[in-house]
Amino acid sequence: MEFKDYYKILGVKLDADDKAIKTAYRKLARKYHPDVSDHHEAEDKFKEVNEAFEVLKDRGKRDEYDQLRQYGSSGEQFQPPPGWTSSQPFDDQNDGRFQDGFSDFFSSIFGNAKQQGFTSNSPFDRKGQDIETELPIFLEDTLSDESKTISYHLPQYETDGRVTEINKTLNVKVPAGVSDGERIRLQGQGHPGLGGAPSGDLYLRIRLVPHPLFDVEGHNLTIIVPIAPWEAALGTKIQVPTLSGKINLSIPAKSQTGQRLRIKGKGLIRKIGVGDLFAVLKVVMPSAANDEIKALWEQLASKASFDPREEWSKR
Amino acid sequence: MTYQTMTFDELCFTTQLPAEIVFEIIEQGIVDPGGDLPENWAFDANMITLTKKACRLHRDLGIDWSGIALAISLIDELERVREENKQLRRRLKRFIAD
Repeated sequence: MEFKDYYKILGVKLDADDKAIKTAYRKLARKYHPDVSDHHEAEDKFKEVNEAFEVLKDRGKRDEYDQLRQYGSSGEQFQPPPGWTSSQPFDDQNDGRFQDGFSDFFSSIFGNAKQQGFTSNSPFDRKGQDIETELPIFLEDTLSDESKTISYHLPQYETDGRVTEINKTLNVKVPAGVSDGERIRLQGQGHPGLGGAPSGDLYLRIRLVPHPLFDVEGHNLTIIVPIAPWEAALGTKIQVPTLSGKINLSIPAKSQTGQRLRIKGKGLIRKIGVGDLFAVLKVVMPSAANDEIKALWEQLASKASFDPREEWSKR
Repeated sequence: MTYQTMTFDELCFTTQLPAEIVFEIIEQGIVDPGGDLPENWAFDANMITLTKKACRLHRDLGIDWSGIALAISLIDELERVREENKQLRRRLKRFIAD
């Protein structure tokens, strides 16, 4: 297994005192706390920092670690010396900072950490851990109740004490009108409890998948509607896609880029009611023009007395 | 299923937290279960996760409860702003040619 340099992880010198170690730990814990950080490896980093602190804050553990440090250094393969046993009792009162225990490296030196923590009174009678997982939902699917199949892994405690992993599949009804970040709780579908205690729960966090056409703004939607310059000038009738089929939309004459047209009731469904769809106009120039078209533009340029930069000359 | 709520006692049980800690979290306004009286309180799934999040922050970072309330409202605000920023960028991209 890989040797872990706890000093390097906390960014402290070998002779750092307890206060310096605690300060370094607090700083890194804040930085990588999974509830605070959006760092992609936050959870692993946080665990690593906790493990390093668990060892370096404790004089006895730190001494033993310092001894072993002579046998390996960061990044190298490490084996504890033959016959090595730690004289440090495993601290079961570690405030339960760890959800998944320590690394193999830690265990090889100090023995096995308790696998789960926090909120337990006794390791033999404990409600199973809750699980939270993301459930991606297409905007179209929020308009009506949808049935979704999800599958996830669960630990299974065998009678002989071994822990195996099982794959679980569930059919979930996602009610119409769910919003981004909302959670659905499925009672008793989390990790199994120990000693007859109830299982944990499964939380599904709804994530609305970005749509190629529609942007979400609260319970309203927007769609960019590209129109030709002459459509903007003269007005027209076009078909606009909505989440539930196409509808006809009148573009008024003299329309501008950025102008918003409201299509009532074609937004997302929420508990408070149905949102609207906003069509935002975007005037687009044709990419190619032959001589005839060019001549027409020139004719327009000479006939129309239009200064689009009128604002500038006022200053 | 989604909109099912739970009572104070059920929340304590499901989070395995002592009542006084859950009271503290409500008193600080971190979780707002509505209703003036505890018997009228109703907790939805988001409030359950929020309660657990508050406890993790309290335990892991050694912040007191009023600090947790501040941290959580700032984290929420940050998440909201990040999300808004993402949306605005997406919309801007639709308008501006590469």
